[in-house]
Amino acid sequence: MADYLDEIEGRTDAGKPEVGDVAIANYTINFGPQHPAAHGVLRLVTELDGEIIERIDPHVGLLHRGTEKLIEYKTYTQALPYFDRFDYCSPLGMEHSFVLAVEKLLDLEVPLRGQYLRVFFAELTRICNHMLNLGSHVMDVGAMTPNLWMFELREDCLNFFERASGARMHSNYFRVGGVRQDVPLKLLTDIADWLDTRLPRLFGDAISLVAENRIFKQRNVDIAVVSRDDAIKWGFSGPMIRAAGIPWDLRRQQPYDVYDRMEFDIPVGTRGDCYDRFMVRVEEVYQSARIMKQCLAEMPEGPVLTLDRKVAPPKRGEMKQSMEALIHHFKLFTEGYHVPAGEVYVATESPKGEFGVYLVSDGTNKPYRCKVRPTAFSHLQAMDFMSKGHMLADITAILGAMDIVFGECDR
Amino acid sequence: MRAPAPAYTSNEGVIEAAQAALGALLVESKDAVGEVSLTVARESLIEAMIALRDTPGLEYQQLSEIAGADYPSRPERFDVVYQLLSFTRNHRIRVRVTTDEEKPVPSVTGIWPVAGWLEREVYDMYGVLFEGNTDLRRILTDYGFVGHPLRKDFPQTGYVELRYSEESKRVVYEPVKLAQDFRNFDFLSPWEGAAYVLPGDEKAAAPPPPPAPTPAPAPAPAPAPVASQPEAKGAPTPLTADAIVKADAPAAKATKARVRKPKTTDSTAESGAGKPGPEAGPAPADPDVVKKPRKPRVKKTPEGEA
Repeated sequence: MADYLDEIEGRTDAGKPEVGDVAIANYTINFGPQHPAAHGVLRLVTELDGEIIERIDPHVGLLHRGTEKLIEYKTYTQALPYFDRFDYCSPLGMEHSFVLAVEKLLDLEVPLRGQYLRVFFAELTRICNHMLNLGSHVMDVGAMTPNLWMFELREDCLNFFERASGARMHSNYFRVGGVRQDVPLKLLTDIADWLDTRLPRLFGDAISLVAENRIFKQRNVDIAVVSRDDAIKWGFSGPMIRAAGIPWDLRRQQPYDVYDRMEFDIPVGTRGDCYDRFMVRVEEVYQSARIMKQCLAEMPEGPVLTLDRKVAPPKRGEMKQSMEALIHHFKLFTEGYHVPAGEVYVATESPKGEFGVYLVSDGTNKPYRCKVRPTAFSHLQAMDFMSKGHMLADITAILGAMDIVFGECDR
Repeated sequence: MRAPAPAYTSNEGVIEAAQAALGALLVESKDAVGEVSLTVARESLIEAMIALRDTPGLEYQQLSEIAGADYPSRPERFDVVYQLLSFTRNHRIRVRVTTDEEKPVPSVTGIWPVAGWLEREVYDMYGVLFEGNTDLRRILTDYGFVGHPLRKDFPQTGYVELRYSEESKRVVYEPVKLAQDFRNFDFLSPWEGAAYVLPGDEKAAAPPPPPAPTPAPAPAPAPAPVASQPEAKGAPTPLTADAIVKADAPAAKATKARVRKPKTTDSTAESGAGKPGPEAGPAPADPDVVKKPRKPRVKKTPEGEA
């Protein structure tokens, strides 16, 4: 009672606790596993001092489905659809690593049009992924409209995937030796129109709402600054390492398919904060569109899937004429193809970073071991040191700028 | 290399540089499928990694990945495979150590903090221990999970399944119940190195029985010396060629009997379809089979014409 009287008479200040006040112990809260800003099922055990983050212990694995174990029991053809389910926001980026790894073991040549189509759709996947990530990032820090606009664009992308492969999200479109089927010319012209008109206008509008916005900058600039050394030590890749100022892009440094023929710029950040990560992704969307336009201009005619009948099935019409084709079809869809014994680690630049596949073959039709290197694992692990000293509300901005999808993180 | 896989700097001279830098720490090195892999002694993993990171000409700054692999037939059954990446030289390399369930692998968290979770995952999936990792908890499996699921002797279906129990109002674990046995189809060709014995072939592996004093194979149409042809080609069988010929002999006769009347008709009109054949009466051996369908047919024909 006396304290209370002191306070109303102005002798003490409740806003400024003095010596003798009760010491406030750190307390621990659970962020997630069911939280809309956790981008899936992430549980962050967060130790707070007031509103300042002292320590974060991310608990992952709530979406663990044992995919690597399942793949060991499946033929190479059957293993491919699992890769769509890793990072379900950019399925073709995942497939790309796997088909390249198997092709490397088989030493299989891929027709040029197949390579162009793979690069073309991998870049469309990148745009599609960044639409989701940029949109949810801005929504996590309080803006609503850009997210809705970018979902419009994402919807367009998904429609294009559907027209190419028959599925909106889990395309299962890439094959060892090329892609499943050729695309109609109308689809390519529609995408070209979309790249010229709708994408730059809508995306430019959406980004113009936030890129120079004062509130958006206050929420992102100087949040979770990562130095170059830290980015290397913590295994960063993709936009995360580029935002830290290292111009490292596997499409440029270790080109696969026809990326060595493409001209594009690699955006890098200067400060390594959340705002840089955001802007790096924004620029990557434009660069992806640039690559796609080059693909459209240069794509040759020809087969899209290897003609090696020991790996790729024959056309349906051919099967009705040729006994040989029928036998190949039957063997490929029962036994599958045998991959020479050996081991490879193939990493590609998925929209989220370096997505690697470590594939061990024992010469049979099933992988002996297929280890997936998720991008999110190393990024999320750095969550602890990145968010130390920031406010609780910054967690959403840091997570949003990391671009984490739990299908891939937990596998 | 014809495959369009990611292309980095050539492997030329990498093994030599690694041999010079690692010396006796290096157990084995090979360059296969365009990738260099080094096997180092487990106890000296940390020195080897520091040498690989800091030696000019190697400069593997980043640890991309740690993968486990299980080879149950080996005495040290587990591989722990580190993928290193050099930014300055644009090169990848693979470093491998072997271990078993008990011998711990030195942790590389001191060199690359990213190894913390990667080692936790290998521990979770394979049960490999890492000495020096201060936070070696499970990471991907459930709280309280038992076993290491990526070991080859861990069944694909696992041991427990969980469901929401309406009675106890929470999720409960139960031993896994399979409505159908787990099926793992084997498509390996038995002629191309399947590692098991086909059912019925068990005797083939046994030594052939001592040659019985058989009479000379006079009646055989294709006489062959018994001793020089112990097994028929393709399918291993304990039978001698002699016995096969004997067993085939009646079959060959039956085949002959069947093709005695070669089919010579070209059009359906002369094929005799629907007409009683010349041998229709006496030929069927079993009257129950043929007579019953024939009776209605005889009745039907006049009705159809009328």
